[in-house]
Amino acid sequence: MVPIRYNIRSLLVRRVTTAATAFGIALVVFVFAAAGMLGEGVNRALASSGRTDTAIVLRKGSDAELSSTLNGEQLNILRGNSAVATSAPEQGVIGEVVLVITSELANGSGTISNVLVRGMPPGGMKFRPEAVIVSGRAPNPGTNEVIVGRGINGRFKGISVGQSFDLRRNRPLNVVGVFSTGGTSYESEVWGDVDAIRAAVGRQATVSSARVRLTSASAFESYRSAIEADKRLNLKVMREDEYFKKASEQTAGFLAGMGFVIAVLFSFAAMIGAAITMNGAVANRTREIGTLRALGFSKIAILTSFVLEAIFLGIIGGAIGVVFVQILALVSFPVMNFQTFSEIVISFRATPSIIANALIFSIVMGLVGGLFPAIRASRVSPVEAMRG
Amino acid sequence: MNLATYARRNLFRRKGRTILTVLAVAVAVLIFSAIRTVGVTFNAAADDALSDRLATRHKVSITMQLPRRYIDDIRAVPGITSATASNWFGAKDPKERVPFFAGFAADDKWFEVFDDMKVDPAQLAEWKTTPNGVILGDILAKTFEVKPGDRLTITSDIYPGDWEFKVIGIYTPLRRTVDRNSLVLHWEYLNNDPRAALTKDQIGWVMTRIGGGVKSADMSRTIDKIFDERDDQTVTMSERAFNLSFIGAFGAVLTAFDLVSIVILLIMMLILANTIAMSVRERTNEYGVLRAIGFAPRHIVAFVLGESVLIAFVGGLVGVLLVQVLINLGIGPFIETNMASMFPYFRTPPSVMLTALGLALGLGLLAGVIPARGASRLKVTDALRRTD
Repeated sequence: MVPIRYNIRSLLVRRVTTAATAFGIALVVFVFAAAGMLGEGVNRALASSGRTDTAIVLRKGSDAELSSTLNGEQLNILRGNSAVATSAPEQGVIGEVVLVITSELANGSGTISNVLVRGMPPGGMKFRPEAVIVSGRAPNPGTNEVIVGRGINGRFKGISVGQSFDLRRNRPLNVVGVFSTGGTSYESEVWGDVDAIRAAVGRQATVSSARVRLTSASAFESYRSAIEADKRLNLKVMREDEYFKKASEQTAGFLAGMGFVIAVLFSFAAMIGAAITMNGAVANRTREIGTLRALGFSKIAILTSFVLEAIFLGIIGGAIGVVFVQILALVSFPVMNFQTFSEIVISFRATPSIIANALIFSIVMGLVGGLFPAIRASRVSPVEAMRG
Repeated sequence: MNLATYARRNLFRRKGRTILTVLAVAVAVLIFSAIRTVGVTFNAAADDALSDRLATRHKVSITMQLPRRYIDDIRAVPGITSATASNWFGAKDPKERVPFFAGFAADDKWFEVFDDMKVDPAQLAEWKTTPNGVILGDILAKTFEVKPGDRLTITSDIYPGDWEFKVIGIYTPLRRTVDRNSLVLHWEYLNNDPRAALTKDQIGWVMTRIGGGVKSADMSRTIDKIFDERDDQTVTMSERAFNLSFIGAFGAVLTAFDLVSIVILLIMMLILANTIAMSVRERTNEYGVLRAIGFAPRHIVAFVLGESVLIAFVGGLVGVLLVQVLINLGIGPFIETNMASMFPYFRTPPSVMLTALGLALGLGLLAGVIPARGASRLKVTDALRRTD
């Protein structure tokens, strides 16, 4: 076998060409990894919003909290089941009202987008132990005070601490604090008092959804069948984590799918680039290859050598790409949650598998691009090549 | 042999490399155009909106309803030629033949305001007198395999249970961005159903047409002023702004698309620069000879830049041809039939093709600059001495 050092030094000698090609591969790997990281960010934000020991209850037929309605009587029936953890805040069942409001971005671009506002009973925040106030203070129950999620604090006009926004004339909601939920999608919501928000939008007697804390995760199935069997209720019961997972599949699937398609298309160009470079390498070294063959290296050895060189080229590009893509971890990006039509602000998240896949992708690009030039190299006839 | 012949022959001295580079440019132009087409056509519905069509909705949120009498107040405004009130039906296909389609519960004037949805006058007259009658788009009718006179059962994620309608008519688009995948039912029919008790006597939004000579900004102010002192204030905007408000949360994704489309051009430039650099390196000796027999450095620059721009131009032309064949005649019509709700129109406009071609030329010039400078600055003696 031809020593690997030969290939590495060849790449170093032709450093301008190597750098140009590797950089092209790096850009493709960057796009590939970025799409994966965005999808992962959405997954984390949405999937980690739900708990397995919590059920979310919607009106039958609606897929999202936004289009669902429940009344007080239904909430009471939901409470009267032995699977409900009555030690939890609001005796294990909270009814919340959810609406999407149109709001202008605070960056002065005039762009409007949608924000999800959640009205919760006094125990609503305690119901989600991961929620903590990170600045300002908690709202006083029963008032028109609200808190804004860390992800969107300051993103919209009037929706940041110390400011206020209107749901209805002369009924401003005052933002008094910022909350965090450890990176989940709740951080892209505004939380307030259920009665204040219902009053503002004229929806006195109903809520959008109910969350039920169960005595244990395994109590879910029996609870669900009990509630769904009750014909007068006409309700649908889902595990909270699965509800969010469904939302994340739509959004993350769309983003990661789009990104993947784009990266694969890009890779065609990068592979052509690798082929040009490797073709040039073979053409310039015909005499060398002839010499190697004359020295007794087999066709297979030459083929392997050039394929390896192409793979190294791919790996160099891949490494540059995955190093630079880490910068995206500092960027947060608003994406649309298809389930609520509102924005969730997420951050790019790298996982070992995304990085590994990106590197494999770069190797494949090098391999495919270098294969034909390598075959050409292996066919060089020693006598003719040395004759020049 | 003159200069042009020399330049032309240079191009084909490494036939394989030139062809691969042209291919890389073509692929880059194709991908760039494809990505831009997604962005352009996504906004097409908004950009193509009628300037004399206005939308009035609840000031706080599109999900909040207005009292029914608002439509009468709006109709009374001088300068308005027709107005229609509608509710979002949340229509779903129980057999899931389409993942999403728009269902509007509208009053009789719908097709007056949306006169770009063409309905047979006899069918329209029959629809107005048939309470459970619906008119649907031609593509949707094809998907559902229904024709006028048939029964059609759909469900809704807002109003529970099965909804059975009678198909009265099929509308066809008079403009390319009209959604051919929507369904229009009677607002009265929905309002009279007990399942719609929560939105009884409420309307979702109002669409109006204004007469010639009326400024839409003035009209928007006039309409909003009527409701300014009432419980539910309105916001009136152009149809374009209304359409954009639904995809507002998509803005960031579209921006990301634009950025990514530039990345492919960067990759293209790297490949082109690499090719030119390789050619220049191989011809260093010749450039020395040319200089020695009296050609000036600017001649060398012209040779190198000319070659780079020519490859970019040919590649760009091939790319534009590919766009025309693969997108406008291939995948475009396919997307229009199968993803009509999202992309009623999916063609690459000539402006995008021209942009792609122009950028390819510009970047081709840029890609040649560094190799050209290097080649022209070489001392004749050095160039002649170099052998690699």
